Amino acid sequence: MTITVRQSPAARIVDLEGEIDLGTSPKLRRTLFDQLKETPKLALNLQALRYIDSSGIATLIEVLKDAKNLGKEFVLFGMTPAVRDVFRLTHVNRIFLIFETEEDAIARA
Amino acid sequence: MSASEATTAHLSLEVTFVMGSQPRYLPIVRATVGQLAEIVGWGEGDARAITLAIDEALANVIRHAYHGRPDGRVELECRAAGDELQFQIRDQGEPPDPSRICARAVGCDQIGGLGTHIIRDVMDTVSYQATPEGNRFTAAKRLRRPA
Repeated sequence: MTITVRQSPAARIVDLEGEIDLGTSPKLRRTLFDQLKETPKLALNLQALRYIDSSGIATLIEVLKDAKNLGKEFVLFGMTPAVRDVFRLTHVNRIFLIFETEEDAIARA
Repeated sequence: MSASEATTAHLSLEVTFVMGSQPRYLPIVRATVGQLAEIVGWGEGDARAITLAIDEALANVIRHAYHGRPDGRVELECRAAGDELQFQIRDQGEPPDPSRICARAVGCDQIGGLGTHIIRDVMDTVSYQATPEGNRFTAAKRLRRPA
């Protein structure tokens, strides 16, 4: 899994590429928690993510809870069918703010 | 019976993995399980779901039976027989606690327990057994062809 962090005027954006599973989710967790400390608005780009398992979903839930506790925003965008299926199977779609495009996510974020 | 059904009715293929309890091996298993599911006849989305379910079962062994220890032994048997995919996972780690399997409520923001829900949602049959030889997880899914 490759993680790239960039800054837009409105939000910190984390781009993911590859697969999130039990082996890679700790790296994602560290990155997202670190980035959340430094920005009021964090957006996660899932467009190049080929796979996510429940440990990845659990990581995103943890980050979302932390963001809420800190009064910050954490949004997702660019969900592929493969990733969307896992969100559906885990019944977490409604927990997150999910957008089609980066523009939409940033505008809302 | 169509030509493709005649072919798959006699299909029998077994793949066995014997591996250490390390997440680094999971991508290899996922690639194989996904291809097996597509060979039996599932579409891309269903094949992905079956792959996820087996990945979750293996992750549970690594996390809960071996508590993240990398030196545990994990055996996975995958069997494609006709229109059915059957899986068996064996380990010698800590037995599963039945009270914690699927203990999480669905649709909430609780962090743990998502994997077992995925497994039960995706597979037709699922069972966990603690035996003197170790733990055994079995699961199967049958392809439903349109009438």
